[in-house]
Amino acid sequence: MSARESGRVKDGGKTRVLDDAARKRRARKAVEALEQDNFHEDPHADLVMSKKIPKFADSNEKPTRKKKARSADYYKMRFRKSFAQLVEEDANFRPEPPNYLSAQAPPSKFPERHFCAICGFLSKYTCIPCGARYCSVRCLGTHLDTRCLKWTA
Amino acid sequence: MSDSSCYILDNGAYTAKVGFSTLEPKIVPNCIMKAKSERRRPFIGSQIDECRDASGLFYILPFQKGFLINWDTQKTVWDYMFSKECCPVNFNEVPLIITEPLFNFSSIQEAMTEIFFEEYECQTLLRTNATDLAEYKHRKGNNNECTLVVDSGYSFTYIVPYIKGKKHKEGIIRIDIGGKVLTNHLKEIISYRQLNVLDETYVINQAKEDSCFVSQDFMKDMEIAKGRGEKNTIVRDYVLPDYTSLRRGYLRAPLQPQEELEQQTLRLNNERFTIPELLFHPSDVGIPQMGIPEAIMHSINSCPEDHMESLLANIVLYGGNTLFPGFRDRVYSDVRSFALDHFDVNVTLADSPLTYAWEGGKEIFRDSDFYSYCITREEYEEEGKALAFERFDI
Repeated sequence: MSARESGRVKDGGKTRVLDDAARKRRARKAVEALEQDNFHEDPHADLVMSKKIPKFADSNEKPTRKKKARSADYYKMRFRKSFAQLVEEDANFRPEPPNYLSAQAPPSKFPERHFCAICGFLSKYTCIPCGARYCSVRCLGTHLDTRCLKWTA
Repeated sequence: MSDSSCYILDNGAYTAKVGFSTLEPKIVPNCIMKAKSERRRPFIGSQIDECRDASGLFYILPFQKGFLINWDTQKTVWDYMFSKECCPVNFNEVPLIITEPLFNFSSIQEAMTEIFFEEYECQTLLRTNATDLAEYKHRKGNNNECTLVVDSGYSFTYIVPYIKGKKHKEGIIRIDIGGKVLTNHLKEIISYRQLNVLDETYVINQAKEDSCFVSQDFMKDMEIAKGRGEKNTIVRDYVLPDYTSLRRGYLRAPLQPQEELEQQTLRLNNERFTIPELLFHPSDVGIPQMGIPEAIMHSINSCPEDHMESLLANIVLYGGNTLFPGFRDRVYSDVRSFALDHFDVNVTLADSPLTYAWEGGKEIFRDSDFYSYCITREEYEEEGKALAFERFDI
């Protein structure tokens, strides 16, 4: 009577399951994405700017300021430091709390809530391969078709 | 003129609030934007109002994670702000008050001091935190001993306790959730559920401002949003701008099947309150931090015990996120439920949450000791940057 075996048990060994480290990496990427300024390319990136084209604001008079203003690019070069560099520098400059790092809010003492990754309502179930949350068979179907392990890092 | 007015610049990561203390402040986007439709020119600050089609705007922001990183962008925007196109000023004649984030990095502070004294030839400069100005304004109006300031802005939310006008640094808490995260999250879920709007930060930010609210009873609202038909009082359609007949989207009752509308719509249901909910439960998007009310209690508990009562009675909220309907009430009811019963809890939403700190700058300029907080150009040239570190309590 081996034909009566359940499909789920039979295929059990085949499905790929993401390990904990991979799930954490995905979660971190999702949080990082929330910090992005733009999700598309600069629409003017392919444009070659010509200095001769008059801008609307331009007047014909020459600027009469005595001191020559430094260009924006000067300051870019002068104070070039990335966010990560600044945090590191601050850790050396102000090693004792309170500082930027120590001010971060600690974890909440309330339990986490879980929401369906598809429809946004409360979820009861976890997708076995990737760990995403879902609330119903219908949402699981959508999830498997669109997201689950589709862009595996 | 120098005695009668001063120039105040609340230099936020998304909008700068700028103007003379004698006039009304202008709210200027602190960024450069590029539009798909206008290939010839980038739009600096408020110039974006001249842009006919704001779809697919590309942002170039001077701030990253709340700190001034891209100086070339900032310089361009400042040049615009101080020019006759926006809000002209001669720093030789008027003092300048400028804000910077809490725990600002020392090399950013140095750069800022240098630019204003050497490039803009400032005579008198006061660098301060926006929360300091807000606290000053609240204290002048209420004459209270302690204040707890909650500044919920674009990059993050800061909770800062002040005891007798001085900030209690051990109690300062930062939650890494601000308007930017909310907009990006809304964009993400709409793009997955309905329509790809990942390029439309500007439009979705407006959609967020127009449709989101803070739930007073989250689980109950979840149930309502699940309902169909008449029972669901939350679901709405957001009509997207098409930039021919409609310049800004608006919220309306859900479209009926027989109805026809020229513009595209987005159906917003639980999105309307789960987005601002992130401020109260950052863990909902996997950021392992406390929400605002819990952080308020945590901050107050780290202050000396005799000031707890006064802090709880003077909680002030300002910043863009506090404009969500229901924000104040939710903060109040949550803090009320956490705090001991015999303490009074008062939560005030600032009258004009966007320009509250700017208004505080106006108040501090009237202070008889104002000039003792500032640094003058002569002092800077004499003693250099080290003086700024000593004088400004940042």
